[in-house]
Amino acid sequence: MGTTLLEALNVRVVGSGEKFLVLAHGFGTDQSTWQRILPFFTQNYSVILYDLVCAGSVNPDYFDFRRYTTLDAYVDDLLNILDALRVDRCAYVGHSVSAMIGLLASIRRPELFSKLILIGASPRFLNDKDYHGGFERPDIENVFAAMEANYEAWVNGFAPLAVGADVPAAVREFSRTLFNMRPDITLFVSRTVFNSDLRGILGLVKVPCCIIQTAKDVSVPASVAEYLKTHLGGRSTVEILRTEGHLPHLSAPALLAQVIRRALSR
Amino acid sequence: MPTLVSLARQFLTDEAARVLDDAVAVARRRSHAQTTSLHAVSALLALPSSILRDACARSRNSACSSRLQFGALELCVGVSLDRLPSSKTADEPPISNSLMAAIKRSQANQRRHSDNFQLQQIHCNQQAASVLKVELKHFILSIMDDPIVSRVFGEAGFRSCDIKLAVIHPPVTHASNFSRTRCPPVFLCNLTGSELGRPDSSFPSSGREDGEENCRRIAEALVKGKNLLLLGACASDALNRFIECVNTDGGGILPTEIAGLSLISVEKEIIEFLSEGGNNREKMDFKVEELRHKLEQCSGPGIVLSFGELKALVDEKLSSGALSYLVSKLTGLLEGFKDKLRLMGATAVYETYSKFLGEFPAIEKDWDLHILPITSSKSPIDCFGSKSSLMGSFVPFGGFFSTPSDLKYPLCNVAQSITQCHLCTAKYEQEVTAMLKGSTVSIADQYSENLPSWLQMAQLDTGKGLDVAKTKNDGTTLNARILGLQRKWSDFCQRIHRAQPFSKFDVSQGRAQALVLEGFQYVADRKESSSGSCSRDSLLNESQCANLSLGVHMDLQNDFPKRNSIPITVDSETENVNCQSKLIKEASKSQQKEKDSPWFTPLTLPNMSLPADHTSSSSVTSVTTDLGLGTIFASCSRRPNTPKLGDHREHYQHFLGFNSSKFGISESNSHQVIQPSSCSNPSSGEHFDSRDYKSIKKALNEKVGWQEDAICAISQAISRCKAGYGRHRGSTVRGDIWLTFVGHDKVGKKKIASMLAEIIFGSHENLISVDLSFQGGVNPSDSVFECQELNDYDVKFRGKTVVDYIAMELSKKPQSVLLLENVDKADFLAQNSLFQAVTTGKFPDSHGREISTNNMIFVTTSTIGMGNTNFQPLKEPVKLSEEDILGAKNWQMQILIEHAAEGASGSNGRNVKISRKVTSTTSVNKRKLEGTTNFTEQELNYKAKKLPHKVLGSSLDLNLPVEETEDNTNSGCCDSDSISENSETWLEDFFDQVDEKVLFKPFDFDALGEKIVMEISIQFQKAFGSEFLLEIDDEVMVQMIAASWLSARSRAVEDWIERVLGRGFTEARQKYHSNVKYVVKLVTCRGLFVEDQAAGICLPSRINL
Repeated sequence: MGTTLLEALNVRVVGSGEKFLVLAHGFGTDQSTWQRILPFFTQNYSVILYDLVCAGSVNPDYFDFRRYTTLDAYVDDLLNILDALRVDRCAYVGHSVSAMIGLLASIRRPELFSKLILIGASPRFLNDKDYHGGFERPDIENVFAAMEANYEAWVNGFAPLAVGADVPAAVREFSRTLFNMRPDITLFVSRTVFNSDLRGILGLVKVPCCIIQTAKDVSVPASVAEYLKTHLGGRSTVEILRTEGHLPHLSAPALLAQVIRRALSR
Repeated sequence: MPTLVSLARQFLTDEAARVLDDAVAVARRRSHAQTTSLHAVSALLALPSSILRDACARSRNSACSSRLQFGALELCVGVSLDRLPSSKTADEPPISNSLMAAIKRSQANQRRHSDNFQLQQIHCNQQAASVLKVELKHFILSIMDDPIVSRVFGEAGFRSCDIKLAVIHPPVTHASNFSRTRCPPVFLCNLTGSELGRPDSSFPSSGREDGEENCRRIAEALVKGKNLLLLGACASDALNRFIECVNTDGGGILPTEIAGLSLISVEKEIIEFLSEGGNNREKMDFKVEELRHKLEQCSGPGIVLSFGELKALVDEKLSSGALSYLVSKLTGLLEGFKDKLRLMGATAVYETYSKFLGEFPAIEKDWDLHILPITSSKSPIDCFGSKSSLMGSFVPFGGFFSTPSDLKYPLCNVAQSITQCHLCTAKYEQEVTAMLKGSTVSIADQYSENLPSWLQMAQLDTGKGLDVAKTKNDGTTLNARILGLQRKWSDFCQRIHRAQPFSKFDVSQGRAQALVLEGFQYVADRKESSSGSCSRDSLLNESQCANLSLGVHMDLQNDFPKRNSIPITVDSETENVNCQSKLIKEASKSQQKEKDSPWFTPLTLPNMSLPADHTSSSSVTSVTTDLGLGTIFASCSRRPNTPKLGDHREHYQHFLGFNSSKFGISESNSHQVIQPSSCSNPSSGEHFDSRDYKSIKKALNEKVGWQEDAICAISQAISRCKAGYGRHRGSTVRGDIWLTFVGHDKVGKKKIASMLAEIIFGSHENLISVDLSFQGGVNPSDSVFECQELNDYDVKFRGKTVVDYIAMELSKKPQSVLLLENVDKADFLAQNSLFQAVTTGKFPDSHGREISTNNMIFVTTSTIGMGNTNFQPLKEPVKLSEEDILGAKNWQMQILIEHAAEGASGSNGRNVKISRKVTSTTSVNKRKLEGTTNFTEQELNYKAKKLPHKVLGSSLDLNLPVEETEDNTNSGCCDSDSISENSETWLEDFFDQVDEKVLFKPFDFDALGEKIVMEISIQFQKAFGSEFLLEIDDEVMVQMIAASWLSARSRAVEDWIERVLGRGFTEARQKYHSNVKYVVKLVTCRGLFVEDQAAGICLPSRINL
């Protein structure tokens, strides 16, 4: 049945290196989002690609609304994949929600991860007393309402905002993957994401992390990267990318690839 | 807006289009305003052997005869058609929106499942001809989706879902062998559960209510018999909720293993106890005793003791005595009832726990708290109110949330158990179908659960289909767009296919869809409102497709040039410098516009102005004579200091990469002033066209006079390649030329590349310039070079890899010079692509598409040579290095007047000196130069200045950019050893492949500096006379040198000095009309960038006073 899971989540292993590298996509995208990054690593790594169950490329039937109510279910998936592939140690690159998943996974199985590279990561999107996550609860509710009311309009507005930089190709790509998601799943997942709060558990992460943050990201304020750095339990570094947007792997792949490579070699 | 018939027809195969035509005919006959799905049905039924009729016949299950039932059907259709309002007869009643939507849906559907059908066909050994039928089949399927149609069928006693099933499964005899595979609706929890034996799969009621996930996980952890510490911002909420659930629900959420577990919270007692400072120990003891008693009594899974928020236990104000008393009590309890008692608590942050551990180190072992991260405050399901519009529009939600899902499980479990064997599956399928036929409403419910996926699929598909329509509506270049679409979709298909490589899976998916289709029918029947939601969806899709079609459009544009990169061989004569470059430019433009014309016409035009005396010189001897003549002029007029030749010659000898014959020529060129006889020395084995050679060389020399040797080699290499003596690929001559410029002089290299583009391809716009080191984003934004460089990372490469950018540019401009700066910094991808291009003549982009590089000139530059260090050291240390100049900032300039220090007067009639950091007047270590205007001394000062720079390094502004680059190369090196090693060997291999390696000598900035100072001195004396002293800030100097180096015109900087600086001096003189001796200083306004640029040079258009 292990293969079924691998099939269902479109798990691919690309490349010829001895070391494993997991590229985990974020919310609203699927594994194709890495296609511009991927070639930089296939030489030196066996790159594991998979789709989150909420991705548009996964059969929506697999999305169990009763199961995927917290990120832990996603973590289960990730760990099951790694187990099914008999990976005993890997480096992990996670974007957005996958960064959170990676953090949680590394808490559960620290020995499995040699390094976490977190792109556009945020432990908590909502603002709090002494924490600036970038969003207020009412804002979010408005966003959800907008998503419900008119998904397509929301996507068209959200995609350029998220991409940030003026890169039509990236906006197009992101819109495509976002549209591929079933609207109800999108809404459900974003609720899951916005309800998540990893702040308390950051101290449990002992795996060294590299936080990659773009200069301007609508979803993640710059202070969040610093917050992560100070609160993560392991050795962690922050890399600020000289580009904009929440999806540097779409908008500035070459730049990002270099930073990732540097982070991996460290 | 109804759609024109002709437009709709394009989406259909001949067969389906014929049906559509029939439908239109029906509509016309009945004088209906539009052609609807009903018309199509009518047309389909009219055909004696139509697929629909056939399907109806097969799906018929009523008792009456088939003839009778068909009669009824036709009657029903007829009646329904009669009900439609008739209007004035249109020639071709346009296609109604609903029918058009059906067409689009079917198209998308077919695309999505085309591989399924192919598979099926392979499987049952059918003829390939039936592929055409697929289209019609899908068309029918979509028409059947139309609620009106299904109602009509329903009236006639058919179930449209049955018909759809029948349509999907062609009447092949051994159909049961392949088509009855059914997609088991496996959920991942089932998969993982059964695979890993995870306990949660055995929770019968998991997720039955909202917000259960946390509770489920807590329970799961409790099953393992652990003491828990919930950790996370919402941990206490989760804890309270869990307690509440367990206590109110009677443990309903608990898995069977620990059913009957009781949960006691002592949080309140603890807080109370601690707040009293631990004085009331009796009460606490009593509570503990009570617990002990309970534990002794209890049987079964035991008791969970919640101590609540851990924060209460680490409060600073607490008396440690009370706390340790409490802790020891709890520890004692735990030890006493190891099997029965479990502790549970919560904390928001990890720090609290570590603090607690710090105070009670023994706790870690005694309590053995297992940390359970709680990451979610509440379940997303919480947020779905019943008013949610999603609930309305996505019927499935009803299935998921409001109706119990019992029905699904038997189905999927059975399905899972029999996926292995085809025969079994088939039998199972038959049973299922049989059951479906005799189904009641409850099965419809069950269908409705399946619906979401299908509805969604259809939605997506419609979107995709619409997108096709959109592009079509645009009109003009239809065919081309269709081609593009096909490309896009074949890509898409491939991706899908790759993603789901298991045939079984695919087939079964198709099957599952069929089942779901039926389900939809039921829902449509039951719920009239669903059509409302449908229209909403289609609305949604319409705008979605707008987006998609945009994408297609863009893709197309990208694809286009590539397809049209017809190798157009440029006649060597057109490369003549004298020919009208504009013509070629226009020609290439028109070529871009009219992609279809296979040849571009103005090619023959521009070879009229060949120098008559050189036209037929093809013999080797005459070549060399020409050569000599050319260089004499060039070297005499251009070379600033000939005595240095000797040094450079030494460089050449160090540079081993050159082969001797070429070396001979370049040597002869550079030394012909001294020994002209060497010119007659023919370079044996080198053949080239003298006309090319001469013209190229002359043009290059005009622009970049200081690099004669390099120019010589370049022009030679180009003419050699053009004459067909370049590298060969098989038997054919390669049309592309590869040059590598090594050594210094970035600007010179660039200028030469640009000139080559102009000479050979007609315009410097045919230069594609990519700096491969730019990916790191190294370039400081305020540099002088920035104002000319278009090579801005952000603008050009955004969203692309370098390789894709290059590929795109190559396909846009199939005839151009591609300048790749810093090829040694190329990333791995670029390396691969470049190497492939140099060896095969095809440049692959990151998607594997190859772009022919025929007729391109590739110029790669690198500051490092062939890995030999001999190349670097110069005999004489250079006063101004290229790095200094490259670091020049583009700052506004300013003239300051200061009172002169004594003795600061000009001697020798020269009254200009250069000093560093004039702006920082109070600085102690300021290295002010005493009135030295002698040029040799000035040079010394430069040197003296440079030395501390090198030693001190970091503290000096001038060095900032240099450091930056150094940093960057360092980080590049430490990237990964293997990578940098790879790139070194790669570079060597690559250099071995190129046609010519050309060494560039360093630009003589010092000489340029001298010249500039001389000019300034003249201007200054004009304005102020000879008794005043001018101090020029070092940065200004660097800036001027850099600008002059960059400028296209040869006398640009001189002009600037005359016009701008001269005027500045005059104005300053007028303003400070004083007899007191003062020093005039020319400094930069640090941080203030040039706003207004002078014409033709990167310097300010006016000087501030």
